[in-house]
Amino acid sequence: MSRTAGANTAVVVPAMLLVLWSVCSAKGWLPDQLLPAPSAVWQQLLENARSGDLWSNTLISLQRVGEGFALGAVAGLILGACVGLSRTLREMFDPLFLFVAQVPTLGWIPLLILAVGIDESMKVIVIAWASFVPVVLNVAQGMRDVPAGLRELGQVLTFDPWFTLTRIVLPAAVPQIFTGLREGLANAWQTMVAAELFASSEGLGYLISLGRQLFQLDLVLAMVLVLGAVGLAVNGGMALIERRLLRWQGSVRGQAA
Amino acid sequence: MGRVFAALWLVFALAVTAQAEPLVIRIGYPGVGADNRPFASGDIVAVAHAAHYIEDEFAHDPDIKIEWTFFRGAGPALNESLAAGHLDFAAGLGDLPSIVGRANGLQTRFLLSDKIRDTIYLAVRPNSGISKIEDLAGHRLSEFKGTNLQLAADRVLSAHGLSERNAKFINLDTGSALAALNGGSIDGTFGSIELLGLRDRGIVSIPYDTRAEAAKFGRHSAIFVTTAFEQAHRDIVQRVVNAFVRAARFGADEANRKAVFALWAKSGYPQIAFEEDFNNERLANRLTPLIDPYLRGRYADLAVRVREYGQIRKDVDVPSWFAPQYLETALKAQGLEHFWPVFDAEGHKIADGDVERTKVAGQ
Repeated sequence: MSRTAGANTAVVVPAMLLVLWSVCSAKGWLPDQLLPAPSAVWQQLLENARSGDLWSNTLISLQRVGEGFALGAVAGLILGACVGLSRTLREMFDPLFLFVAQVPTLGWIPLLILAVGIDESMKVIVIAWASFVPVVLNVAQGMRDVPAGLRELGQVLTFDPWFTLTRIVLPAAVPQIFTGLREGLANAWQTMVAAELFASSEGLGYLISLGRQLFQLDLVLAMVLVLGAVGLAVNGGMALIERRLLRWQGSVRGQAA
Repeated sequence: MGRVFAALWLVFALAVTAQAEPLVIRIGYPGVGADNRPFASGDIVAVAHAAHYIEDEFAHDPDIKIEWTFFRGAGPALNESLAAGHLDFAAGLGDLPSIVGRANGLQTRFLLSDKIRDTIYLAVRPNSGISKIEDLAGHRLSEFKGTNLQLAADRVLSAHGLSERNAKFINLDTGSALAALNGGSIDGTFGSIELLGLRDRGIVSIPYDTRAEAAKFGRHSAIFVTTAFEQAHRDIVQRVVNAFVRAARFGADEANRKAVFALWAKSGYPQIAFEEDFNNERLANRLTPLIDPYLRGRYADLAVRVREYGQIRKDVDVPSWFAPQYLETALKAQGLEHFWPVFDAEGHKIADGDVERTKVAGQ
């Protein structure tokens, strides 16, 4: 009951926006060229779905995000764990890393283009970098912030380092690690659009830039809706995995306690 | 005496305020020069802007100001600005963006032509293995989407049995395409005279251009006014057209060839590039303001092609777009009715023009 009520409430604001949008374009408050009618956007979406352009471009974008995120997340997990576990490494890397992390991902694009060109590798690297940064920061933080009491418990039970890592540090850090992964995935998705807007011949971001060049705001809005929907789905999938893993983490903690 | 003076002041002040309805004529141009210089090049508008023809026309109207905006984003960006109501005139807008704008409901009138039969060049990296249009298949190329370059490139490709789908076309503006060619991240691009400089530095070769087939593949641009501005200020529209026609008269005259190239060079592109682009060609071949059967035929044909290429999804009514009365008035007033040659829809000359007898200065 409360679940359906929640779902109903969640629909209220989007429905209101849709009504406002319809009224806005029906009354001509904004010129058609700047705000096309919802029906035009829907039509555009259907046409793209029918021609297959929608699927092929969505797949390409997903593939780029998948590759970039996998690369960035794995590298981020490793470096984050190293920095989180070793005080020496932390002291060596922290200032440099914090400095580099201040530069917005898109700021690296000009340099990257010089280094690797504008092909797939540029997009994948940019996406990887965008997901790498939050993963490193959160993983390191999570591993560092394991409650002192748990560590002491390990010492009392004379756990070896490997046992301490797998039975105490990792389980305690999982929530924070997932915060990093979720943030990284969101970054990856957003950066994909920016990278595709910039220089590409396919992908959802490309369709948006094409729509802009050909003055088809309905195409732009249609792709914005697709981006939002797919992003939401990807994020939802991540949350699902996280819930499962947290259940496991909870039981481990139960054992340890 | 002091009283008389004060009274005179009062009368003067009243007269000024009665008249002072300051009007800004906002003109947009779809492009920038080298390094984003706010200058046009290669067309009638570039002559009018660089030599202040519009400003001179309104020199004695202190309440009328002229404001030029140059869009690095070219025609697509200019269209957005038109839609937002930020412009009164679109000067030099290319065929594709103007047709796209009209298909999407932008209310404009077609006042006069700015340039016809304009060249497009194909520039490629020397090691790309591309020596003709057919070789482009499978390569990574760039074009400035939504501009008249895209439409001309599409027509060239389809005449050689290809389409954009046969190669990877990424969307880059003029400056970015030069950087990408320089850095080797694309194999080639379709563009205009800015590519000649890269070739001279040995960075690209130019295996193809449309100069030999300009009547078939040439690009067009024209000068438009918004319907709203036209309805409110017909007299001003007439005067703006008068000024553009004067600039066209100057720009088409072979006696001014050097001077015209010098004006265009304010864009930052060197005069030798224009000399090469117009080699063995009269300026008037491209710089004509006429709305003749040829121009009408070209735009009617282009509108159909743009629809075929899927770049618009509604048919465009071309004949009702033209508002030639301003041009005709200006030509008559300046005695230029027979200055430019007239061509039929197929591109055959049906009337000679006086301009064809003009000679390069010093010859």
